[in-house]
Amino acid sequence: MNKVLDIPRVNAKNMTDKEFFYGHKACAGCGGSIAVRLALKVLGERTYTALPAGCMSAVGFIFPQMAFNSNAIITTFPGAASMASGIAMGAKALGQKDFKTVVFAGDGGTADIGFQALSGMIDRNDDVLYICYDNEAYMNTGIQKSGLTPYGTQTTTTPAGKNLPGTLTHKKNLFEIIAAHDIAYAATASIGYPQDYLNKVNKAKHTKGASFIHVYASCPTGWGTPTETSVEIAKDAVDCGLIFLAEYEDGEFKLNRNPKEFASIPDYLKKQARFKHLSDQDIEIITEHRDKKWSRMRKHWL
Amino acid sequence: MGDVRLMKGNEVIAEAAIRCGCDGYFGYPITPQSEVMETLMARQPWEQTGMVVLQAESEVAAINMVYGGASCGKKIMTSSSSPGISLKQEGITYLAGAELPALVVNVVRAGPGLGTIQPAQSDYFQSVKGGGHGDYKLIVLAPASVQEMNDFVGLGFELAFKYRNPALILSDGAIGQMMEKVELSDYKPRWTDEEIQEISGSWATTGKKSDRERNISTSLDLDSARQEQFNHKLQAKYRAMEENEVRFEKINCDDAEYLFIAYGSSARISQKAVELGREKGIKIGLIRPITLFPYPTKAIQEMLGQVKGILSVEMSAGQMVEDVRLAVNGKVPVEHFGRYGGIIPTPEEVLEALEQKIIGK
Repeated sequence: MNKVLDIPRVNAKNMTDKEFFYGHKACAGCGGSIAVRLALKVLGERTYTALPAGCMSAVGFIFPQMAFNSNAIITTFPGAASMASGIAMGAKALGQKDFKTVVFAGDGGTADIGFQALSGMIDRNDDVLYICYDNEAYMNTGIQKSGLTPYGTQTTTTPAGKNLPGTLTHKKNLFEIIAAHDIAYAATASIGYPQDYLNKVNKAKHTKGASFIHVYASCPTGWGTPTETSVEIAKDAVDCGLIFLAEYEDGEFKLNRNPKEFASIPDYLKKQARFKHLSDQDIEIITEHRDKKWSRMRKHWL
Repeated sequence: MGDVRLMKGNEVIAEAAIRCGCDGYFGYPITPQSEVMETLMARQPWEQTGMVVLQAESEVAAINMVYGGASCGKKIMTSSSSPGISLKQEGITYLAGAELPALVVNVVRAGPGLGTIQPAQSDYFQSVKGGGHGDYKLIVLAPASVQEMNDFVGLGFELAFKYRNPALILSDGAIGQMMEKVELSDYKPRWTDEEIQEISGSWATTGKKSDRERNISTSLDLDSARQEQFNHKLQAKYRAMEENEVRFEKINCDDAEYLFIAYGSSARISQKAVELGREKGIKIGLIRPITLFPYPTKAIQEMLGQVKGILSVEMSAGQMVEDVRLAVNGKVPVEHFGRYGGIIPTPEEVLEALEQKIIGK
């Protein structure tokens, strides 16, 4: 396993003014586009970007207004990681050295249909950074549930009503599933904590072999939140403990943020139309799930 | 009149499934057909009829769930749009090879590749010639209206079970998304275990009792001689479909000197072009294939004594026109007119194409 060397931290002062993702047609307040924009600022212009079907490919490649200022390509829905593997190998065969291959895939494209390819890519330890921007549903096709949609979410395929509280399953434990591959570097992040995210991208950039970042990216359209609160709500999710910031490196888990006290889960949920219907009992289920997870993480990851 | 509503084509597929006693739907989101699963989820048919509705993790998963459910003699369906249907091809050919009835709905969008989400008819070859591997055929129904989206769900299942063969509804993004008046079918209850035993007991894996031989669902036979025999049996089945199941509509054909041949959305547009042409004194008729396999070859051949030329109208670069030419066999000129990439032709364009490519020649 390659140890990530000490690398200078990324901050506002040393980050490039160049933009590599602009002029796209994402909705106002799109968290996914923030995740892509920030990551590419760290990765720089020597980047090959592969995107499966999803919001970012839908809004970034509207010919002739190509929103990527570096090499970017749309892959098949299940094949993003495989195509990235091919790109990385092809560039290597051409003798290129100073480049990074990155995937930006949504939660459905990662945890559901794209998972087999991702698993293979990590297993081969291909030199690819895979970033999953998680807005917790298939937003591009009209807000359908994915494997990363949390319990109680109203989506168009998990409607809430008398009989159902929306989605019945909890989020797949994607970060630990990825870590279970013994990947060189994996991390979770949130656009609500951009410094943390940027530096994780930077670490992944300097990792040789496969790396993975699961970044929480709000979606005003799918979540029913005001467009100007996207960053704030992605921060709230972390502060209330439903999203955690962690890393997996050298075979060890590390919890990056371990608050003494969580912010209120109901406050976080009530800001979003997708959770508006939840009963006290549902919120209890969500809270219990969080507490169980945190007690396990605190026991093993600190 | 029964239950008449104003509905989207995709919503009607969902409603018709519930009403025809469908046992299970397995889907995965893709534009422009996501409303099928969304409508089913909102309708919660499991509360009413016991029908299962499940969102799979991929199109491949969904079609294999169909394979599993169909093996049990249940009425099982899936729906998707072009790229998703491509992913399902392996499962579809396995269904055909295992002689299992199932219903697949393709709300076609333009390709190739990711293409666009606008309507097209460019999956004709894939649907009719066999998009997957091996010598197999699907029963392919082409609705031209929201009403037919309703009607063909029941018909699709009926034919699928009659021939133990998957059936495909080849719709497109226009019919899936547009709203029209529709008279919904009456509710039919789901089959009971006894009825399944009666209808499909000779092949369905329903749980073997001591009084019968094992039923096996498989498309595998490593013995080439037996595999050839099995393929003979399949071919005989397809010939029987050609004999018995051809469906088409003839519009203004009696005195027609020129003919449009078009299915689905293109047929609706061509029908208007027939009107426009007749206003100008051109004697045009339309044959609308309803089954694309089996194809109305004979219906076309019967017109050859009276027509001077045929225009095949499709939202593709020219796919069905090959079957028209096979039917016509060089006896009269056959040309293709198509708009594609998600563009829907206007009736005026269609008429103009006939005037230029056929009449003017």
